[in-house]
This record gives sequence, C-alpha cells and structure tokens, in this order.
Amino acid sequence: MLKVKAGDLDRMGLLFERYNRQLYGFLFHMTYQRELAEDMVQQVFYKMLKYRHTFTGTGEYIHWMYSIARNVLKDHWRKNKQQVQHEGVEAAETIAGGSVPDEQFEKKQAKAGLHKAMEKLSESQREILALSRFQELKCQEIADILGMTEGTVKVRIHRAMQELKSIYVKMER
Amino acid sequence: MKCELYEELFTGWINKELSLEEKGALEQHIAGCTNCREELLSLQQMWNTMGEVETPEPSANMGVKFYAMLDTYKESVKEQRSLWADVKYHISRLWEWQPRWPMAYNFVMILIVAGAGYLLFGKGKADDQDKQLKALSTQVHELKQTMMLALLENPSASERIRGVSYTGEIKHADKQVIDALLATLNNDPNVNVRLSTLDALTHLAGRPEVREGLIKSIVEQDSPLMQLAIADVMLKLQEKRSVGSFKELLKQKDLDNGVRDKIKQTITQLI
Repeated sequence: MLKVKAGDLDRMGLLFERYNRQLYGFLFHMTYQRELAEDMVQQVFYKMLKYRHTFTGTGEYIHWMYSIARNVLKDHWRKNKQQVQHEGVEAAETIAGGSVPDEQFEKKQAKAGLHKAMEKLSESQREILALSRFQELKCQEIADILGMTEGTVKVRIHRAMQELKSIYVKMER
Repeated sequence: MKCELYEELFTGWINKELSLEEKGALEQHIAGCTNCREELLSLQQMWNTMGEVETPEPSANMGVKFYAMLDTYKESVKEQRSLWADVKYHISRLWEWQPRWPMAYNFVMILIVAGAGYLLFGKGKADDQDKQLKALSTQVHELKQTMMLALLENPSASERIRGVSYTGEIKHADKQVIDALLATLNNDPNVNVRLSTLDALTHLAGRPEVREGLIKSIVEQDSPLMQLAIADVMLKLQEKRSVGSFKELLKQKDLDNGVRDKIKQTITQLI
C-alpha cells in the first residue's frame, strides 16, 4: 500500500487480488446482499485510492481497509436504514431455499435461521461476529480495527454470541 | 469467582485463543458450574454452526468493475499530474537535486552581484552619474550642431535640407546656428533649401535676431515662391516692421503680378 501511496497505482491491483474475497465476505455478512456487497467492495477500493495519502503505514493495511469498509457501511445505513432490514431477510430466505436432500435439510434450516438471527442483531454485534467468526480475525486484530482493548472485544463477542443464541432459540419456538 | 469474570475466557475458548493457564482455569470453573458448562457448550455449537455458513464468492463482474475503475482513476490522476502535480514534483526534485555547496555558491554570487550593483549605482555615485550624463548630452548636442553646420556647406541640396532639418532637434540654437541659417536663407542657390530654412527659422521666431534677419531677407529674395512664403510667415508672426521691406519689394519692376497682389494684401492685413 505504501507503494500505491507513492504513486504506483498498479499495485492496487495486487491488493485487490489479495483482499477482495475477504473484504467481500465481511461486507456480505454485514449486508446479506451480494450486489450491494460487491458495490461496497468497489467503493472501499476507490476510497483507498482516493485517500491513499492518509495511509500512514504505521498500522496494518487490513486494519485501514476495514476502517474504510466500516465507514462505507455507516454511510450506507445512514442513507437507507429500513431497506437493508427488509432486503436482508429476503436474501437469507433465498439462501435457505432451493431443492435440498432431506438429510441436509435440517442443517440448511439451521444456517438459514442463523442468518435471520444475525439480521436481528445490532449492527455493532453483527460486525464483531463477522470479524471474529467469518473473517476469523484474532481478538487483538479486532481490537486494533475497532479501537478497543482486547478484553473488551472478548466480552463483546461473548455478549453478541449470547444475544444471537437467544434470538435463535426464540425463532426456533 | 463469579461467572461474569469468565466472559472473556468464553470467547477465547470457542475461538481457541486461550493459553494453557486460561484453559485450565475455565475448565476448573465449568467443572463446578453447570450453568456455565451448558452455556459454553451451546455457544460452542452455535459458533461451529456459524462456521458452516458459506460466504458466497464475489462474481467475476466485481473484478472487471474494479480494474475499469482503477484505469479510469489512473487516467484522471495522470491528467491532474500533467497540470500541476508534475510541476510540483519537478520543483521538489530540483530542490533535492541542488546540493548544499552549489546552493551556497549561488547565494554568494547573488550577494556579490547585489553588492557590485550597489557600489556602481549606489547613492554616492548618483550625482557623478548625473554630471556624466549631462556632459554626454552636451557633447551630443555640440556634435549635432557641428554636423548641421557642416551639412549646410554640402554641395548636395538634399544634404543641406537635412542639415536644416537638424535645427528642429537642437533645443537651444546659438548665434552661430542662426547666422548660418540666415546666410543659407539669403544665399542658397536652391529654392527648396531656402524654403525649408525659412520653415526652420519660423520655429525660432521667438528670438529677436531671427525676426530681424527675416525682415532683412525680404528684399533679398528674388524667387516668387520665396516671396510668397515669406509674406505668409510675416503675416503669421504679425510682424509690422516688415511692411517697409515689403513696400521696397513692390518697387521692383520685374516683380511677379501674383506676388505683387499677395504682398499688397499682406501689407493691408498687417496695417
């Protein structure tokens, strides 16, 4: 990224190749809309190009990438709050649907339920679970990205898991 | 120890980030706390299920869009660069490129030139310079005058006319110049030279000796052209003393009739 900052814009292509899936995964779990997540990936990379001078190189590149992604998400939610909820549930149903063999059906059901339960979490809880579970980042890394202590991150992950479980159990009934 | 204090360890347990000590402490706790044990198991199960959730792959379209965006961005940056960032870049390069000694040398040279300039054109020398300039312009003036006088002696009529025309550039014509002009006015064989001399003298008519010379010159002129021209000049200058000279001119028997009429008219106008 420092080379991109110095003006070698072609290096951005390498960064894209390396991180686009990871970033897309994060944005997908935050929105549950494939096209929207793709658009957001585009926005994040555009912002990284445009604001490349703000990358100091003191922290990890991916921390910077996530912080830009979080800003893009915030902008999006501020602009269309209700739409996200509605379409998100639809997307979860789409994933759950389709013809599936019986033995796998329950698992699929469980995953679809999880999607729905994730939807009902608050944005910050969904975010911390997306980072820890789906992005498989270590607590210390999440702490760096979110600007918290490692302990706080651990407690928040635990609370988010508890919340997810209770939502999930309620939905099962 | 209260169960809440194990919250942090729960997360570590399910995502397998616990150290051996922490793991031991938590295992010890859940061995004696059914609630926590069940909670931990259910969370672990949830965590595992989440792990099975597939994250879809982004479409190929995303890559295409990204590279299109990157190209567009590069183009726009290039344009901006060629405008001013390039200039800025070169200036910064120049700045870096200039090592200290040449830079210091430049400064010293600038100081020397500035100092020399001050010594040459400084206040102390300004008066001297003024004097020099005056002397120089006087010299040029004298040179012009000499040249004019020399030209008046020239056998070529056009050169003599040129000499006469120089008087227009001489600011303060002295007696020598006026005498030379009057002599030309009366004696030059070429009428054109005499006409231009008359014209030059008219410009100097503010001086009494010029006026007198002109009046005296009236009777000297034998060319009708000159007689008419001089009559015009006298009329223009409103020189009443010229009436006598004109009357004398009228006495000449071979005077042109046209000139005679003109002179009569001039006399009446002057009186």
